[in-house]
Amino acid sequence: MSVDFLHPGEGAAIDTNVPALELRGIDKRFPGVVALDNVDFTLEPGKIHALMGENGAGKSTLIKIMAGVYGKDAGTIRMCGREVDIKSPRDSLKEGIKVVFQEIALISEFTVAENIFLEGYPTGKGGSIDWKKIRADSAALFDRIGFNVDPAARTGSLPVSQQQMVEIARALAHEARVVVMDEPTSSLTPNEVSLLFTVIRRLAALGIAVVYVSHKLDEVFEIADMVTVLRDGRHISTKPIGEHTNDTLIHDMIGRRIDNLFPRKRGEPGSKVALFVEKLSTARKLNDVSFEARAGEVLGFFGLMGAGRTELAKAIVGYDPITSGMIVVDGSRLVPHDTRTGVKLGIGLLTEDRKSEGLMGELPVYQNASLASLGAFARMGFIDKAKEHRAVQDYVDRFRIKTPSLFQQVKNLSGGNQQKVLISRWLMRGLKVIVVDEPTRGIDVGAKSEIFALIDRLAGEGLAVVMMTSEMPELLGLSDRVAVMCEGRLTAIMSREEATQEKILNAAIG
Amino acid sequence: MSELTHASAPRRFIGGQLLGSSQLVLGVILAVLCIAISIAAPQFYSEANIIAILRQCALVLIVASGMTMLIITAEVDLSVGASLAFVGCIGMAVLNSTHSLALGMLAALAFAGGVGLFNGLVVTRLRVNSLIATIGTMMMLQGGVYLFTREAVQNHNQLTSFTDLGAGYVGAVPVPVILAALIFAVAYVTLRFTTLGRYLYAVGANEKAVRLSGVRSERLKLFAFIVTGLCVGVAGMILSSLMNAGQPTAGRGFELTVIAAVILGGTSLLGGRGSLFGTLLGVLVLKVIDNGIIILGWNQDLQMVVPGVVIILATYLDIIRNRANVR
Repeated sequence: MSVDFLHPGEGAAIDTNVPALELRGIDKRFPGVVALDNVDFTLEPGKIHALMGENGAGKSTLIKIMAGVYGKDAGTIRMCGREVDIKSPRDSLKEGIKVVFQEIALISEFTVAENIFLEGYPTGKGGSIDWKKIRADSAALFDRIGFNVDPAARTGSLPVSQQQMVEIARALAHEARVVVMDEPTSSLTPNEVSLLFTVIRRLAALGIAVVYVSHKLDEVFEIADMVTVLRDGRHISTKPIGEHTNDTLIHDMIGRRIDNLFPRKRGEPGSKVALFVEKLSTARKLNDVSFEARAGEVLGFFGLMGAGRTELAKAIVGYDPITSGMIVVDGSRLVPHDTRTGVKLGIGLLTEDRKSEGLMGELPVYQNASLASLGAFARMGFIDKAKEHRAVQDYVDRFRIKTPSLFQQVKNLSGGNQQKVLISRWLMRGLKVIVVDEPTRGIDVGAKSEIFALIDRLAGEGLAVVMMTSEMPELLGLSDRVAVMCEGRLTAIMSREEATQEKILNAAIG
Repeated sequence: MSELTHASAPRRFIGGQLLGSSQLVLGVILAVLCIAISIAAPQFYSEANIIAILRQCALVLIVASGMTMLIITAEVDLSVGASLAFVGCIGMAVLNSTHSLALGMLAALAFAGGVGLFNGLVVTRLRVNSLIATIGTMMMLQGGVYLFTREAVQNHNQLTSFTDLGAGYVGAVPVPVILAALIFAVAYVTLRFTTLGRYLYAVGANEKAVRLSGVRSERLKLFAFIVTGLCVGVAGMILSSLMNAGQPTAGRGFELTVIAAVILGGTSLLGGRGSLFGTLLGVLVLKVIDNGIIILGWNQDLQMVVPGVVIILATYLDIIRNRANVR
């Protein structure tokens, strides 16, 4: 490994007139799906280029082709004007393309420095690895991006935000000309996001072309120079960000205008208390939390990272143990404190972590949808499959779940459609209280408004909806009342009329 | 939207679920094996030989039926071989002292079911990984059987009903084959048509999701462990009947044959995916290979070598087939 990266500008000078990376006429087909259809994508050196589109638009496929994970079916790829053939992730890295995926691909047992130089350790006498040099070079790389991570730290012990920095440092170690960030902020705190942005701007200042893949409009407006929008595998537009407004960008992404993300159709909540929680505490987080949620009401819970929203969600449905307090669902106490009793009484959780706690990825859509209500389709323990399929089909139609068939493995659906399958799971069961935790995490704009409409409809049908969210617009747009948490305590409950961003943030800080 | 859904449903029903995943590959392998062996040795297709193969399959299939359920829940039981030997000894000892097949059978089932319960509790309550837990149980049973008896427990009764368990026939069909077919059928129906079966798959696919849906996932795993144990109980009694004694050395490597058959049949060790039909094919393939090696007069040590090759080959072919499907 050479050390050119330590001395910017001394190696091959970056010609700003030639595109850093130029994809032309890229086609990619999967069985039954055209993932990419004649897509062009050009990156200028030193520019931050946002790549946007709904789930299933082809963003992931495109960056996976750049990363060498997939091969293209047609088209050409040019690096700095020279046509290249990328057949594997190794080729891609060699050509100077570094993709930082959402699920970070570092070896968690290795130190930061070991990870950075994974593809080629500098060696000293007799081929032994020169550890001193590795540490020193790592520190120098972090210096260049203006962010300090201890090179000797065990990678797995670092928060995601710092692991991203390690990936970025790795990109520099490989003298990457193109760095792709795939949804980098999905698990970062606001503070970490602004740090990340600083680092990304530095990368651009070094002449690196940065691809920024995200759903979040406000982030894209903040960081991007250019925006390319894909829709249904086709290139829709490439423009400087200045020529876009929120509306035009959304319009390009979904092909129609969304006038109102939060169409409130339901009436006012009733007076019947569906969920009553008193002095709830858990061993680790929650401290004396008391509140009630009424039938037909959306009660939104806001809190900063670590405030205890997910812990509360899991405790009130009986999934995580409690140390004291009382939970009453529809007039009955949740005793014994387990999910079986919870579901019987009519409270269920729509998890924030679909993949590890919600979906059975390998299993078909219909089995995922009917999981909580199998009993209703069974006689003497035997499943009436025709009845089951009819019921699931009914939800697939009503919620417009996009799936080629009921037998499709649910892991192949887009995030929004997966979420609809999981909502169906609970509706088929018939709940009194549904706890939704970050209902739109990892879901694109078009599907988001559908999920919002669904939540509105749930409340309209008389369910009490307890919604945990870290997204202010979602909170203010959907909630009848807003509850705010800070460090495991409930710090405020206010009505929709009283709730302002300032008040909520103040309560969230504590 | 809904037209799409209906359009592809029937195809999946017929082709997809019966001969889905790896079973097609396995069926082809089985057919090729049978044809190749019968060309080389025509006596392969004699009635006597076919019956012999089926009898050989019976023991493995009985335990593999339970094991398929267990592996579908993403757990595994390595103690079945050791348990098989122990069960035979206990069953035989109880039979000798009570002169009752029913009591001997009951003792065997109670012991084997108890082993399953023990494994299940260690895995679900103490949260010990099942691979490790059942290796522990295996070692305890392998040593324990010698504490129980230093040598084979001979049959002192010569009850015909006991002899029939292994060597008897109903019409032209050996009793063990009938027992295996019954157990297989019950397990097959359970996995395919009942809520219980559906939950077993679900637990293997995502235990947390199942728990959040209000289903007690630990109980499901416990159930699968106990069923596997009970299957060992039946198999152990058949084995001791065949050998006319309880042999503490029996069952060496039996767990490997069983697990190999299940994996060969396309059941995923990661859970959530698999079928009993595949397991049946897996058992047949392994036992046809065994039989072929014998009737062709090959070196018997190949009985271990060849299945090893076949497992790797079949799994590889399955990967290739999957890849071809994706492209």
